[in-house]
Amino acid sequence: MNRRRSLSVFVGPTIAFAIYLAIAAYPPLWESVLGRIFPNEARLVYQQSSMLKLIAQTIMMVAIASTISTAVGMSLGIFVTRESGADFYDVVSDLANFGQTFPPIAVLTLAVPLLGFGYEPTIFALALYGVLPVLQNTIGGIEAIPPSIAESARAMGLSPRQVLYHAELPVAAPVIFAGVRVSVIVGVATATIGATIGAGGLGAPIISGLANSDPAVTLQGGLLAAGLALILDAFLAASEKVLGRTVTSRAAVAKSANR
Amino acid sequence: MIRLEAIAKTYEGAERPAVDSLTLEAKDGEIMILIGPSGCGKSTTLRMINRLIEPDAGTISLDGVDVRTMRTEELRRGMGYAIQGVGLFPHWSVHENIGTVPWLLGWDQKRIDERIRELLELVGLDPDRYDGAYPDELSGGEAQRVGVARALAADPPVLLMDEPFGAVDPLTRDRLQREFLDIQARLRKTVVFVTHDIDEAVRLGDRIAIMRDGKLVQCDVPERVLAYPADEFVAGFVGGERALKRLSLAKVASLMERTQDVADDLPRVGADANLRDALARILETGGDRVAVVDATGAVEGILTLDGLMAHFRRPVE
Repeated sequence: MNRRRSLSVFVGPTIAFAIYLAIAAYPPLWESVLGRIFPNEARLVYQQSSMLKLIAQTIMMVAIASTISTAVGMSLGIFVTRESGADFYDVVSDLANFGQTFPPIAVLTLAVPLLGFGYEPTIFALALYGVLPVLQNTIGGIEAIPPSIAESARAMGLSPRQVLYHAELPVAAPVIFAGVRVSVIVGVATATIGATIGAGGLGAPIISGLANSDPAVTLQGGLLAAGLALILDAFLAASEKVLGRTVTSRAAVAKSANR
Repeated sequence: MIRLEAIAKTYEGAERPAVDSLTLEAKDGEIMILIGPSGCGKSTTLRMINRLIEPDAGTISLDGVDVRTMRTEELRRGMGYAIQGVGLFPHWSVHENIGTVPWLLGWDQKRIDERIRELLELVGLDPDRYDGAYPDELSGGEAQRVGVARALAADPPVLLMDEPFGAVDPLTRDRLQREFLDIQARLRKTVVFVTHDIDEAVRLGDRIAIMRDGKLVQCDVPERVLAYPADEFVAGFVGGERALKRLSLAKVASLMERTQDVADDLPRVGADANLRDALARILETGGDRVAVVDATGAVEGILTLDGLMAHFRRPVE
């Protein structure tokens, strides 16, 4: 009844990613397809920069931002569900709920005066916005653990830290991971807005197309950003399956956490 | 030996104490049942023994040592814990679940593996089949068995159980209770067992402590609780058929008259049947006596209706 899954779950997303890159890096294909949709447009594809470079920029921004969001969101979520952090629970969870209603473009606009133009404010805005789903799901996931599990863990003599590493986090992991996925997907979409403040990435063709009334260019950027979001989500879904049992098995946790 | 002395606990915002100056003792090797209606404080009492809940007043001692002087984790590792809903870790295999406390205690892997095999056999699960299974692959009864095995893993002298057989169907519960009694006959643990089911209490308990509104109403052996309920509340709680429950506590062998002079056409009961079964046999055959036979069918003696009546008239010790 061994249910450990192999790395084969990554084969599908990897093939999809390879096809995605091949299509992105082949302008003639875009020209012929977009030319048919927009027969009257002179400018059909974005030429200022290679698509691969823009994809790499987007992935980098999202990767850095999501790493920060995950670390901050999980830490905060763990903190407020501890006895010592219980006093901050209401403030933090209200803030998380309120923050979700705050549009990402507003976060970006507010970050520029602080950090100037370019990568940094974009990553800051993405990270800040991405904290919220991770935080919410960390709190929700830990709170949804059946009381019998948490109680058994304590009653068997696990220390508070062991209860966290071996019972709470592994059981809440799927919910927390869902939060990370939301954070990454929203990140890819939000990162395109970063192009308005010179962060590059797949937002560049979108913004350039809008500014110069070249709908084909905007569509090119939009399709590539959407495709990237789907592929990253597929990778995360695959990781979730692998992590599901391996990372949460006791041997793996013992390696990463000092007991 | 577990001794609770003048224990009290009032939850924040509650109007009355959950447990109110409760004094109780569970002797070594006995099953002490805590029973009462919901909210009587029985589960709170159990959870104070391993300090999942801290009492407001009073002391709890284990073999004469105040539990507050012990490190919480060490105290808990020395007490097996099994609850309704079991609380198995869903992300751990049966193997890892059962091995939890031995692992916490730092046993070497070989010893843990051997112990887990032994425990799976003890609770009636085939080790080859169940060792690597995950909790969501188990039936309710199998999960309860794994829960009991996990509680017994490090061979703790004390077991705390809170309705461990509460969430399974009556047939499975019956079998789990019987198996638990077999296990207990071998291991002689000191067990504190919470239930709200009087039949379970009578069947498993060496002594029964009946609680109401946080107070101890009566604590005695099952026979005496049934024969001499302390007040109306206890009488009502143990139920109208307490006479029949008393009969189920004694074996036919204990009351039969030894004789070989038995008519061939008498109805028969086994010597290891209980008196309730024998009475049922007498009633359904319309006579006033049954023949008692051993496992091979050889006649050992007779049991009469008069004998059963006399059994009731005798004071219970």
